[in-house]
Amino acid sequence: MKLELGLIHVTDLQFGDVSKVEDHVVYINQEDIKNLILEDETIESVELHIAKPGESVRITPVKDVVEPRVKVSGNGGVFPGWTHKVDRVGEGRTHVLKGMACMTIGKIVGFQEGIIDMTGEGAKYTPFSQTLNFIMDIKPIEGLKQHDYEKAVRTANLKVSTFIGELARNVEPDEIEVYEHDNVLEGMKKYPDLPRVGYVLMLQSQGLLHDTYVYGVDAKQSLTTIIGPTELFDGAIVSGNCVSACDKNPTYIHENNPVITELLKEHGKTLNFVGVIITNENVYLADKMRSSDWSAKLCEFLGLDGAVISQEGFGNPDTDLIMNCRKIEAVGVKTVLITDEYAGQDGASQSLADATPEADAVVTGGNANVVIHLPKLDKVIGYTEYVDKIAGGWSGSLQPDGSIIAELQVITSATNEQGFNKLSAR
Amino acid sequence: MIIVTNNPDVKEKYEGIRQIEFVEGGYKDVLIRVRDLIFEGHELLTHPLMGSVKPNETPYRSIAVSRHAGKMDNDNAIMIAECMQTFEKFAAMGRRDRGRNTPEWLLEDFRYIDLTLISSAVDYH
Amino acid sequence: MIKIVHYINQFYAGIGGEEMAHVGPCKMDVIPPVSKAFTAAWKGEAEVVATIYCGDSYFAEQTDKALAEICELIKSVGGEMLICGPAFNAGRYGFACGNVAAAVKAQMGIPTLTGMYEENPGTDYKNKTIIVPTANSAAGMRKAVAAMAPLALKLAKGEELGPYYEEGYMYTGIRKNMFEEEIGAKRAVKMMLKKLAGEPFITEFPMPSFDRVAPNPAVKDISKATVALCTSGGIVPKGNPDHIESSSASHYGKYDIEGVMDLTEETYETAHGGYDPVYANQDADRVLPVDIMRDLEKEGKIGKLHRYFYTTVGNGTAVASAKKFAAEYSKELVADGVDAVIMTST
Repeated sequence: MKLELGLIHVTDLQFGDVSKVEDHVVYINQEDIKNLILEDETIESVELHIAKPGESVRITPVKDVVEPRVKVSGNGGVFPGWTHKVDRVGEGRTHVLKGMACMTIGKIVGFQEGIIDMTGEGAKYTPFSQTLNFIMDIKPIEGLKQHDYEKAVRTANLKVSTFIGELARNVEPDEIEVYEHDNVLEGMKKYPDLPRVGYVLMLQSQGLLHDTYVYGVDAKQSLTTIIGPTELFDGAIVSGNCVSACDKNPTYIHENNPVITELLKEHGKTLNFVGVIITNENVYLADKMRSSDWSAKLCEFLGLDGAVISQEGFGNPDTDLIMNCRKIEAVGVKTVLITDEYAGQDGASQSLADATPEADAVVTGGNANVVIHLPKLDKVIGYTEYVDKIAGGWSGSLQPDGSIIAELQVITSATNEQGFNKLSAR
Repeated sequence: MIIVTNNPDVKEKYEGIRQIEFVEGGYKDVLIRVRDLIFEGHELLTHPLMGSVKPNETPYRSIAVSRHAGKMDNDNAIMIAECMQTFEKFAAMGRRDRGRNTPEWLLEDFRYIDLTLISSAVDYH
Repeated sequence: MIKIVHYINQFYAGIGGEEMAHVGPCKMDVIPPVSKAFTAAWKGEAEVVATIYCGDSYFAEQTDKALAEICELIKSVGGEMLICGPAFNAGRYGFACGNVAAAVKAQMGIPTLTGMYEENPGTDYKNKTIIVPTANSAAGMRKAVAAMAPLALKLAKGEELGPYYEEGYMYTGIRKNMFEEEIGAKRAVKMMLKKLAGEPFITEFPMPSFDRVAPNPAVKDISKATVALCTSGGIVPKGNPDHIESSSASHYGKYDIEGVMDLTEETYETAHGGYDPVYANQDADRVLPVDIMRDLEKEGKIGKLHRYFYTTVGNGTAVASAKKFAAEYSKELVADGVDAVIMTST
């Protein structure tokens, strides 16, 4: 399977009379976007904003972040099951508006974290301080239930990202990245001497604000299964996860899954990248047992030598991670785990809620409990009054001068567990 | 199954459908009650740290255990002990006002999230 | 020149061995050779300005008082840093070094460092001070000084230490965030390739250490089983006839409880120096439940209580010693036909 990513480097993002991409600048007509979002009758109103790297802007509480893409050739369309019909993706060519991101904010429930600072201390930790951000502040009609509001916000972002991505359909990319992988048989024949490596991608799947969708299917209702690496680059996996800002995987990161990217880069050189196994993180313990059994079985069926396992979220996913590790090691497949830590503000507490001696190779996204001081910024897009109510914040977190003292976990994607960042801990 | 909970919304939804053991108290009291039930041989059915809402954030917790009590399951006992340690770790950090000075509209949201999380498990079983 | 204070025990101070372990903290008039070795290693950048010694028993038995006295002495000489030991595998000395280094760092806010063997119980303090691993005996002194001195100097200068595996100190367990050169996914793939190739790699998060023992199969019929009581809680016949040490025990005791139905204040006590002994001395059954076992025996719930109990003090006792004790007496237990053991701790 081969997918070409045509990257269009976006150098600026502006509102304009006509929505278009021209000379690396994305212009957005506000009415286009508003009309699109307000098609949904559950949405009362929307406000649009732009935030750029280096600006004195704070965005909060961020729900999902999406990278606009468009399928130029090959089967299907981006975000299958959402903005395009359920149809296989991952082949052909996809254009990417690199350097920009679409993000939603809104108060679905009253305690959601998710801060993106475009400058200062906080900007060091979130990858989205480096993107040109198109922000949608979406307000629901009165009385809309949280479930429906979450869905409306999630869908709106996918629609808008698809719309903006579409603007890049006929733009000549600046750069083409080619990602190719082999089926099990071909890979084995082509690279008989290279170690067979797979990737176990764990998806948070526990209920409202904790869900992930694969081709439109709620991951909690699925058995552990296999997906093609490049399918993710076309938006096959979508995040409905709004809690645990620092270590949930926004759709943007699924679209740019760094483990898949790295493994594809090494495929045929140092290793044979056999495939991606997606498994869930459910609340029910029997589900955890079954899903982790299945991960190990699939690793075994694929004849893997090694598997990288990435986690999502806090607390009970530690149990899934450890179960996956133990069972996969037990079938003779070597594991490397990617996680993050809650080691306390002083770093002295036990980092994970579970542990096993087999987990001897761990990459960490850092300690999410570390206290950081975010300076007052000139402009706030969203609602900082929630800072005192969020995980990692406490009463008094929002200082009278507008600065914020809180834990790193308030920052969107700061300790990402797919290994998207350079942050680590020792 | 028995749903051990301090969340009135969970009680309201499942009263008469599932056995409910309502705990008058906080998150920790639910953990303690579940620990005792595990010691008595009830099987733990849902993960005590479900969801990514941190234990020093939400005051509500719902956990399902089996109705049947057999021999104590060691893994369950270890898991609840580890969860209690995690709870203590978070309790020691900030947010000392948890559950007390929290405004009603926020409590409502915490109850709702707890309800949807436990529902994601018990509605399918 | 940076002024460094050195803490050692009575033995390295040349005062004497176990017979002098009761002496209290004291500043030495002459800097001893072990301190001079450090000064030499610092090549003029720092020097040991004072060496303080304290008897290991004195420290173990009145820790708070000893600490206060040691802090006073450090202040009086204007010490900017404290190094302790190295203690090698001496349990009580290691305990003192770890404890002093941790307490001085916390109370006086000056950097501290010590050195000891990896199995020394004093390594419990590795999350509270910097501990450099050393050999298990004083034969490794030269190497220990060579390893400790440069780290001490860095700390004394107020420099941040690099990660434990680069600098060579023991893993502290204190997690510190840092930025890597490469993203996590790339690090994970590199680690995977190393792991697959059988090459050494360093995990970014060492799992907590496990010393789990797989449980034996259940006793088939406990109502017919001979059950022994063992403890690390230091319960001994009144007067501690075998002189089991209050900490860093060097041996264990085996005592006959034939016909003993209850441990009383008059007949039994604890030798343990690591917890408040009042309740154990009032009623030693609280640690070693002979009374309850007799009840169970009478009720036929167990076959019988074994005639002997084995006891030692778990306070700072080296893991290697504890393993040795158990290896010896578990053979006796097996030979005596014991089916099950209840091991109590404190």
